[in-house]
Formats: sequence, C-alpha cells, structure tokens
Amino acid sequence: MDDTTVYRTTAWSAGPGCHGGCGQKLHVKNGKLVRIEGDENHPWNQGRSCPRVLAMTQYMYHPDRITRPLKRVGARGEGKFEPISWDEAYDTCEKRLNEIKRKYGAESAIFVQGTGRDIGGPITMLAYSYGSPNWVQLGLSGHSCYTPRLGAMKTVMGDFAVADCSQYLERRYEDPQWKVPEIIITWGQNSTMGCPDGFFGSWVVDCMKLGTRIIAVEPRNTWLSSRALHHLQLRPGTDGALALAMINVIIGEGLYDKEFVAKWVQGFDALRERAAQYPLDEVAKITEIPAQEIAAAARAFARAKQAAVQWGVPVDMCPDGTAVAHAITCLSVITGNIDKPGGQVIARPSHGVTSYPFSTEELVKLYGADLIARLNEKRIGADVYPMVKNFRGWAQPDMVIDQVESGVPYPVKAAWIQTANVVGGQSARAKFHLEALKKLEFIAVVDLFHNPTTMALADIILPAATFPEKDSIRSWWAPLISIKKRVQVGECKSDWEINFELAKRFNPEGMKRWKTLEDMFNERLAPSKMTVADLQQQGGFKMPEDGPFKPYFRHERGLLRPDGKPGFNTKSGKIEVYCDTFEGWGMDPLPFYTEPPQSERSTPELFKKYPLVMITGARSQLFFHAEHRQIPWLREKLPDPTVEIHPETAKKYAIYDGEWVYLENDMGRVKRKAKFSLQVKRHHVHTMHGWWMPEMEGKAPSLYGVGDFQINNIIPGPQCAKSGFGGGQYKTTLCTLAKISA
Amino acid sequence: MTRYGMVIDVDRCTGCFNCFLACRDEHAGNDHRPVSAAQPAGHSWIKVQELERGSFPKVKVSYVPVPCLQCTDAPCMRAATGGAMARRADGIVIIDPDKAIGQRDIVSACPYGAVFWNDVENLPQKCTFCAHLLDDGWTEPRCVEACPVQALVFGDLEDPTSDVARLIAQKPVEALAPVPAEPPPVRYLGLPTRFVAGEIVLGDGSEECAEGVSVSLRKGQQTFTISTDNYGDFEFLGLEADTEYVLSIEHAGYERFELHWNSSADPNIGTIVIERAG
Repeated sequence: MDDTTVYRTTAWSAGPGCHGGCGQKLHVKNGKLVRIEGDENHPWNQGRSCPRVLAMTQYMYHPDRITRPLKRVGARGEGKFEPISWDEAYDTCEKRLNEIKRKYGAESAIFVQGTGRDIGGPITMLAYSYGSPNWVQLGLSGHSCYTPRLGAMKTVMGDFAVADCSQYLERRYEDPQWKVPEIIITWGQNSTMGCPDGFFGSWVVDCMKLGTRIIAVEPRNTWLSSRALHHLQLRPGTDGALALAMINVIIGEGLYDKEFVAKWVQGFDALRERAAQYPLDEVAKITEIPAQEIAAAARAFARAKQAAVQWGVPVDMCPDGTAVAHAITCLSVITGNIDKPGGQVIARPSHGVTSYPFSTEELVKLYGADLIARLNEKRIGADVYPMVKNFRGWAQPDMVIDQVESGVPYPVKAAWIQTANVVGGQSARAKFHLEALKKLEFIAVVDLFHNPTTMALADIILPAATFPEKDSIRSWWAPLISIKKRVQVGECKSDWEINFELAKRFNPEGMKRWKTLEDMFNERLAPSKMTVADLQQQGGFKMPEDGPFKPYFRHERGLLRPDGKPGFNTKSGKIEVYCDTFEGWGMDPLPFYTEPPQSERSTPELFKKYPLVMITGARSQLFFHAEHRQIPWLREKLPDPTVEIHPETAKKYAIYDGEWVYLENDMGRVKRKAKFSLQVKRHHVHTMHGWWMPEMEGKAPSLYGVGDFQINNIIPGPQCAKSGFGGGQYKTTLCTLAKISA
Repeated sequence: MTRYGMVIDVDRCTGCFNCFLACRDEHAGNDHRPVSAAQPAGHSWIKVQELERGSFPKVKVSYVPVPCLQCTDAPCMRAATGGAMARRADGIVIIDPDKAIGQRDIVSACPYGAVFWNDVENLPQKCTFCAHLLDDGWTEPRCVEACPVQALVFGDLEDPTSDVARLIAQKPVEALAPVPAEPPPVRYLGLPTRFVAGEIVLGDGSEECAEGVSVSLRKGQQTFTISTDNYGDFEFLGLEADTEYVLSIEHAGYERFELHWNSSADPNIGTIVIERAG
C-alpha cells in the first residue's frame, strides 16, 4: 500500500461510540480510510484497538449513513426526507428556533445530548449562545451516568479521582513513580467490556498481569469475577449498604489509615457513627452477600499498601446514587488511598484545559458567572434539586420530559437532539418520551444514521462526523490531545463545526472573537500555553508536566488549592467525609443507603407478581449503547437481543434455550431471545439495552421495531435521588418472563 | 528454517472479539491469492467460544479463541483431493482457492470446526496465519497484533528464544480437544478444566465458617491437600475429566467427611457441615 498515508489521531466520537481517548493510526488512500489500527506510540492504549474501531471503515462508509442534511417532507413518522443544502439546513434551524425564542422564551428549547463523546463542549456553546439553560441528557433518568459520581467526588474531595493505572505517566507501567495497586475493586464495572469515563478497560487486565488482585462487586458472573480474590455478588442497587458495611468493618477493626485520617479528613467520627448503623449481619441480608465475605473483602482492601476502585454506572443507578458514590469515595479516603501511586489518583483535565465541562465551576469559567446565574433561574429542576442547582449545569431529565408533557411551569416547544437516540436509547419510560416529544413544534436531530429518534421526530437532520473526519481538542484526563481531520465523508460535519456556525448566528456579538473553530480551540488551550499547531507538531498529544495536573501527593505540595496552601480543594482543606457543602444544600452530609423502589423488601406485593430482578445495560465490546446494530461485522457476533436466564429459572417458566420470550411488567412487555446462562443468579435476568432493528421498517409505527425491542419501555421513571442525580431504575426493575405463543 | 506456531493463553482472553474483527478487516473483500480468497460474511476464521462452568456461587467464565490449528497431521489435508491443500515449509496449511473448489469434505474433516464453506465461491476457507503478511515481512498475523491482552502469542517454534517457543518449553501447554497424536502448532495455556469447590461450616450450632480445615482430593494414588480460606471456601482446579475422585475433610475434633464422585461435570459441593466427633 505504497500510496497509503498513515496519520495518527485520537478516537472520540460516534463510531467507536465510547468515551474515547485511544490513539489510532488512520491508513488513508485516495482520501478514504482503508484501515485503522492502534497507535503503539500513544501512552493511553499502547497500540490497542477494539472491535468498534476495527470496524470503523464499515461504519464510516456504510450505505445507510446520512451524508447530507435532510428535511422532513411528509408527516412526522412517515419517514419521508429530502436532501437539502447546509445553508438551507442552518437557515431553517436558525429561523425556527428564533421564532420559538420570540414566542415562548429561549428556555422553551431544550438541548439534548447522549453519552460523553465530545458533545458537552459544542452543545453547551450552542445552548448558551441561543440563551437556553436547558442542556440535558434527556431520558437518562436521574442523569445516572457519571454525574452522581462526579458530584460526590467534587463536593467531598474538591476534585475528581480515578483508579491509578499509571495513565498520567508517559512511560506508564515502567515509570518508577507508579506502584501496582495491590487491590482494584471493580465496583459495578466489567472493565474488560468497555472503556467508559475516560478509562481504558484493558488497564485493569494490565494491572492483573502485574499482580493486582480483583475484588469484583458484581451481581453477575463474569470473566473478571471468575478471576477475583473476592466476588461480592450483590443484589442490584444495594451498593450503598455494602460500602457502608465495609467502612464499618474497616473503622471498627482499626484498619483505617490513622495518619491520613488525622491529617486530612473532616468528620471522621460522624462517618464512624453513620457506618455503625450498617452492621454486617443486617447488610448481609440486604445485599445477599455472606457477612464473612463482606468483611474479608473490606480487610483485604484496607490492608493493601495501595488499592484502587474502578467503578461504573451501576453506582449512579442506585437510588440516591450520589450518596452511594459518597460512601465508596469514603472507602478510598479512610484507607488513605487518595492522591497516591496505585490508589485513587486525583483526576484533572490535562493542563487545566476545559474542552468538556464537567461542573458548573467549569461552565462559569467558560461563559461567565452572570450568564450562568441568569440561566439558572429558568433551568428545569434547579429550583427543586440541590445538586442540579449547584453542581452541574444540567436540567433535570425526568422533570424535563414531564414539563414537555405538561407545559408547566412554562412550555417546552423545541428540541435540538445531538448524537443521542432518545427514543431507541437512554430514555426510561421510552414510550412516554416518544409521545411527549411528538408535541414539540420543532425538532432538529444531529446524527450519523437514521434511528427511531430521527424517524419519529426529526424535522431537520444534520449529518455528523466521526473522529477521522473532524478537528477537536480533548483534555479528559490526560494527555492533552488535538484530533485532526484526515478524511471527508459526504457532506458530514463535526458537532463542533455545526454548533460553531449556528452559535455565531444566534450570538454574533459573543462569538465574533473567533473567526474559526481553531481560534476557539486555541483560546481554550491557553492554560497549556500551546496551540493546536503546537500539539500537532508534537505528535498530537502532550502529557501533563509536574504541577497541579500531574500526580502524586499534590495535596501535600500545595498544588490542589487556588491559594497554594497544602490540602484539598475544599473549604476546610480536608476531605469532607462529613460534607458541610451537602448539608448547606439541605442534603444529608453523610452517606446513606436507600432500598430500591421496586424490590422484595420495598414492594413485596409487586415482587410476588414480578419475582425477577431485571438488570439491564451490561456491555459488550461489539456495541456501544444504541449504536452499531447496522454494522455487519459487529452484528454478526451478536445478532439477536438476548435475555440471560439461569437454566433452572428457565425450566420453571418452561422456556427453552433460544426461544423468543417477553420480559414483562406493569409497564408492558419487550421481546427477547432466551439465552441460558450461569452468568446470572437464579432470581436475576440480564438483558442488553439499546436494541432497535435497523433492518426493520423505519417509519411509524414500527420505528425499527423500537416498540418491541427497546427495553427501556418497561423501565419506570422518575428517578429516585434526593439530590436530583442518580436513581435511574435501569438495574433494579422487577419483571417476569412470558411465553410469546401463550 | 522457520516454523510458525501460536500459544493461546485462555486465562487472559476476555472475549473482546478484537481478533475476529482484525481478521475481518484483513480478509473481508480482500483476495490474498495464492494463500486465500476473500472472506465472506458468516465465516469465523478465528472463533471465540464462551464457556461457563460450575454453579452458584462458584461460576467461572472463560473465552477460548479457536483459529485453524495448522494440525501437524491434518485431517483436512487427507480429505482434500487434486492438490487442493498443501503445507508450506513454514508449517502453514493452505487451502488452494482455485484447486479446492467444490471440496466440501475439507470442511467436514476438521474436528474443530475451523474450516468454513463459502457458498458463493463454492469453496472451503480458513485461517492462514495471515501468510500473505508474513511473506511480506510481518512478524505476526493481524489477530495477534490486535489482541489487547496478549492472549495470542505467535512466533517461530524453531527459534528457542521466541516467545512462543519459550512458552511451550516452560509452561504446561496443551492441545485443544480432540487431542491429536502429534501436537499441533497452535496450542493452549489455561484451557478450562474441571474443578471442584465448596464451603465448610462447623456443625456445632455456631455455623462458623471453618478456616484452615484440611481438604484432600484423591485420584488413584495421587493426593492433593489444601486448607480452607478465611471464609471456609476451598477449590481444586485442573481436574481431569471423567475421572473418579475422592474428597475428604479432616479437622481435629470433628468427624471425617468423605465424598466419592466422577468428574463428568464441575460439581459445586455447596456447604458441607462437619459435625463434632463423638
């Protein structure tokens, strides 16, 4: 392939679909991507890829890909669209959204994103340029994906932290500063099956090879749990009780890090008292884990010289997910595992650059305190939920859809939906979302393929780009990265390009200081003292140098606080396990446990009718959420939506392996193919989310079979978290199995 | 003389399918004659089999990648006619994409299901270790390059310093079942074996988990002994299939416990309560 050029870049977009970060080599021939493979020079993934990256050529050049802007020409749901020019598409969006703003106020347009793949930056820029405060992961009940964990960490510790797998060090595992975690708790995360939250899944396996032992907090039996030192096979949603019981063991047996606690922890005695309310025997009953196993795992974690927690979305999906994240954070804190090698490493956006705002603090930095304060007055949920008001500039998703339906306290009239398949993807009570959104006067959808959302709702569709087709920057977490466009597919544009153009139309004054997108990237890169060109010259990425953005022991060296004093970035300078900030917001200052809203304990009558706990959302490397069902190489290995059923349970329901069945509860029923599996306990079933069938009829009422296969049709809302963050019932909903023929 | 081989470390394989996707990327729509014709949909020149064994709470999940094993005494080659198959000097078994047309027997001869039928081309096809790349100077096939956990180790069996030769020399590598008389160039580490697991509780009313209890497993004249861990659990791995075993538990002051069984499955013995002697 002599006329092929190889370009190095970083993946972060629809296509791989995940939260990105890995370096990839693009083999480009005649302007077309012909092969892609991991970049061995990139410290993040060290040459590795995944099935979704390896299938990128199929994804990018798929015959069904939307490559020109489209306008709807029939009724919504008829599936009739016509290609239009970008100018016409922009003009239409500008005109219709401005009409809505004039008639109802800017807050009447909502700006909807899905998972975190280079979308938070462009969509907030657009929403705020337009003047709407309502930026939301619509349908994701309780914003139960990372936001509760981020909120708990930021409030309690003043910073975010992640399991230290040497990802901040260019030489990685060879760097003498780093230490192998003796223990990693994989808490509600099957690390080998994906790379969420800025964490490369295979890092856990790398550490295992170097001697790390795993404590798997996981209701299912997986490759990882099979190889764990302890497998805490908990009842879904009881993570908070488990964490508090472990804290109780560690404090009760004097296994906590006394020096660290004395020096750096506020409210330890209060935590001790709170944890004492979670005795082992009681928690064993709550969690279905034998008491000795909980104790043994707690001891192993506490006795390790350094130990880390790599956690997942089930933490957020517990009732009161923020409180659960608070409890798990306390485990790392009281064992002195914060900001040290092989523990929980403080995670800051590389070089202090914000390309993707995780907190209100960062939004204020980008857009100014005045605008954010003014917008907060109208932000849906900010007057009800303390964390929605104070931690992150999201509108509260469950309240947003209720307001779309009710029009109270003000009407919602338009939606900008960007690379988020609301109808086929994240929405709990998915059918309610579909019906409510149909009422809107104008809906623009930015996406790469038709899906149930485009078909049912879109008035205008704008074709988005994948990472080889776009320019961007990334600072989640390290290194600092510049993503460079190398190919063009049809007329597709990146989310940044699309939103930059429209933001200029809505806010010409505010946006005029940037002529090009690169000007804006360069301004955002300013804290690094580098430009896009500088980054490109250095190979496209740069690891942080010693200082506030590189570990370790920054709290001792005065590198975490704006005043330069030693300590953590909180009011007291200590980690506030008793959290004054939570208290000030009218929340419980200490972690606590809430029973799932549907369970044998909380709803015994319902449990009689629906005796199976339905776990949804476990990952496969083949699909990311609702993407990839139309990619032949990937779909071939997982052609049907299955439900994993323990063979003995299946026998009870007279179901055979491979039979199509219904999962059923009071909300309705969803089709699945039975897969006998020992990976689930007898009274659990597991099924993957995000299923719709690109090969089925797209127009309504079929909408690619979303009515039959979208599991979130039978996941209830609203969320159950006092903070407003957490508690989507994706892992704790009760159901039963029914034969289709009956 | 180079002779290629592979060791597949099953204990490392997490079932991510990178190997399958890399194979697709290399072969789908790409004709690499003379060593291979283009791979159609539906073929898995490297399969990834998911295996579950045991019972609650002792369940183990493993993934076993299976490419063509390039058998030393290859049944597919015996089934081929008219020079449709040949072994190269480097040991790679090649199906000639032109001469093998119509020869379905090559598919059915493979005991590992590693040869696939191409309905359109009327052709049997399989993994070639990416011979076209090796001939082009590559040191490993695409699947090996793509494995994120280095579960696939490839190299020259004749070079004692190669990773693959060292693994074979130093580790208990095995052949995939059905085990052929001659070990094939593709061999395995950590293939799932039978195991027995259970938990011991003292039966004196306390229902205490019994830590440090001696548990023995006897097979003919061989005996293995371990102690229960701090919550009374024990586990013996690596048992032979379809073999008679005797499990015995001895603890001072308690009655002896003995269990005979045949390892036709992975029994989770469950909780064993040992009673006070006398």
